[in-house]
Amino acid sequence: MKTPGWILAIVLALGALTAGLWLLPGQRVAAQRQLTPAAADAVQNQHARHLQPTKGSKRYQYKTPAARRFDPSQVFDPTPPPPGPAPNGVREYTLVIEEDVPHEVAPGVTVPAWTFNRTVPGPVLRATEGELVRITLVNKGKVPHTIHFHGIHPANMDGVFELVSPGETFTYEFIAQPYGIMPYHCHSMPTSQHIHNGLYGMMIFDPKEGRPPMRELAMVMSAFDLDRDGEAEFYAWNGRAFQYADNPIALRQGEPVRMYVMNIFEEAMVPHLHGNLFRLYPSGTTMTPTEYTDVKTLSIAERAILEFQYDYPGTYMFQCHVTEHMEQGLMGWFNVLENVETAQSRCD
Amino acid sequence: MAEPGSSAARKSSRAVVLVSALLPVLLLAGILYSFLVRGTGINLPPPAPIENLEFERIVLRPGEIRAHVINTGPEPVTIAQVQVGFLNRASWEFEVAPDPTIARLGRAVVSIPYPWTPGEPYEIVLITANSLIFTHEIEVAAETPLANPAMLGRFALLGVYVGVLPVFLGIGWLPFLRSLSRRWYFFLLSLTTGLLVFLGVDALEEALENSADVPGPYQGVAVILIGVSLSLAGLYAVSNWLKQRKQSTESGAGLLLAYTIAFGIGVHNLGEGLAIGGAYALGAVPMGTMLVLGFTLHNLTEGVAVVAPVVQHHFRWSHLLWLGLLAGAPTIAGTLLGAFAYTALWAVLFLAVGAGAVFQVVIEITRYQVQQGGAASLTSGFSLAGFALGLAVMYVTGLFVIV
Repeated sequence: MKTPGWILAIVLALGALTAGLWLLPGQRVAAQRQLTPAAADAVQNQHARHLQPTKGSKRYQYKTPAARRFDPSQVFDPTPPPPGPAPNGVREYTLVIEEDVPHEVAPGVTVPAWTFNRTVPGPVLRATEGELVRITLVNKGKVPHTIHFHGIHPANMDGVFELVSPGETFTYEFIAQPYGIMPYHCHSMPTSQHIHNGLYGMMIFDPKEGRPPMRELAMVMSAFDLDRDGEAEFYAWNGRAFQYADNPIALRQGEPVRMYVMNIFEEAMVPHLHGNLFRLYPSGTTMTPTEYTDVKTLSIAERAILEFQYDYPGTYMFQCHVTEHMEQGLMGWFNVLENVETAQSRCD
Repeated sequence: MAEPGSSAARKSSRAVVLVSALLPVLLLAGILYSFLVRGTGINLPPPAPIENLEFERIVLRPGEIRAHVINTGPEPVTIAQVQVGFLNRASWEFEVAPDPTIARLGRAVVSIPYPWTPGEPYEIVLITANSLIFTHEIEVAAETPLANPAMLGRFALLGVYVGVLPVFLGIGWLPFLRSLSRRWYFFLLSLTTGLLVFLGVDALEEALENSADVPGPYQGVAVILIGVSLSLAGLYAVSNWLKQRKQSTESGAGLLLAYTIAFGIGVHNLGEGLAIGGAYALGAVPMGTMLVLGFTLHNLTEGVAVVAPVVQHHFRWSHLLWLGLLAGAPTIAGTLLGAFAYTALWAVLFLAVGAGAVFQVVIEITRYQVQQGGAASLTSGFSLAGFALGLAVMYVTGLFVIV
């Protein structure tokens, strides 16, 4: 009785083996891949280069569902205060610092930010060259802060040495000079933390003779490192990733535009316009453009005026040409309306 | 002594016992109630939100990445943004089903319409509403096998190669084993013990390794402990019950032991199959010929182990078929489940149950040998050599299995 048992077992086993070997083609390739790592790499490389990419999602990229867009009321108004002389030649501002203000850095993602007047970036300050600028700092936070201004001023108005303690107030006074775009930011130690957390903004000093009137936009480029690992997760025009993608900025065909741009993050940024070139005024400290181009690398704390106009209607991207920055939020749309239309839907 | 008095005393002591048993329970209920109603008085808000998301499974379809996640933190979590890392991280469109807000221990599937290309590495980055970040790396992107007939067939075949085939091939040695003398028979039993000890430790090690991927609250290591204990105790209970029911003959006892071994190896193979199928599904293992070959060699010895106790007995040949299937066929179920519904938790549970079963069998074989040849037979030269060879065979064939 024992003999049929093992015969059956072996027949079964061999049957399965044979059937299996015939059913599995292509195993030899796998064997090669197992045997020599170099050959495996070669196969792999070829694979990646020559295989068709997987087919697309059939969804239009950058089209965000309505439920996951910035509330238009939350969007940072890109229009700076208008130029013009201050009453009595004195320009006064009050900047209130608060800590851990909820700031929606990307749709749905909120970080505790440190803010001037509860926005990131802080408000755009504007004065005309030669005016007296008087800025009152109110520190409502829990740690000491300062404001450091770029520009020409006395050492005791530089906002570096004298800390303003929690609950205290300090008034900075200086003459607006020279004309151009001047950053302002907190200079308390650790400064990297104070700036990263949101304490920065743009100051525009207009030349005495003024610049030709144009549609104006102010754009601060910055980034947010959520997990503090040295690599930012979100990059943004004016403090919120993708806000001008979700809420495009309306322009008119042929309308001259002046864009004040400033980079306040610790990486070079490259503002770039689609379908257009701009006249470049580095730091905004000249009256004549130095270059006619469509990209300009702004290093850390560097800024520039870009002047342009769109000849054709349509939707154009404005972005940072560092693709990582763009894909993490430093992009938006100009919606250029045909001239015959009445452009009502301005962003503000 | 007055009778009624002592009975009253007994009654009152019983009441005391009853009260002393119930009192702590009642007090506990009262304390819990007051905690829930009035709080604990320890109001220490965490300095930052505590959130935890863990990845259970990644499915890659053409033009789509699907991440199965579980919220293992103490509070509900809302997924607000998704990025895909390739060269750099890029914000990407996504959907979360059933809902972006996931309750504690709740699960969700994040689907990302990303045009991934085969052979490239990717990183999935989930950003919560509280700006916390959870990431998962896909080492080499490859399309996840679909559960269609062709793919099912392939993974079933993998199970046949890794489990069924080697067991039957091992059983095929039966006629040769029958020709062995008594001394060599003890050599064979000890060889089996060696094989099984190796297998058991191997399964435990694999279970521990997989337990790292088990979401925290499920306590992977505790699952191993429970799996091992339950299978050890359970197998004893079942075999004791069978021994009592059946007229205990020598061949009957041998056959029962053979079935126990087959069961233990079967559960172990189920866990092994899950791990193999799951590793493939997660893109961690290329299922090359060498790997299949390695497993086949490695598991060949399992067939020998199954028939070792019945070498000297006569029985119906159909038992061999059932023994082989019991030991080998669960591998097929394992590879299929692993490839199409893998979670680390199940792999760990089955590996642990398999390890427990294998250790139970080791104890039983040892007892069986003592019964047959006395305690001295365990330390005879033949037995020691057999045990050592068993370990050596598993080690050497294990070299082919690079998982």
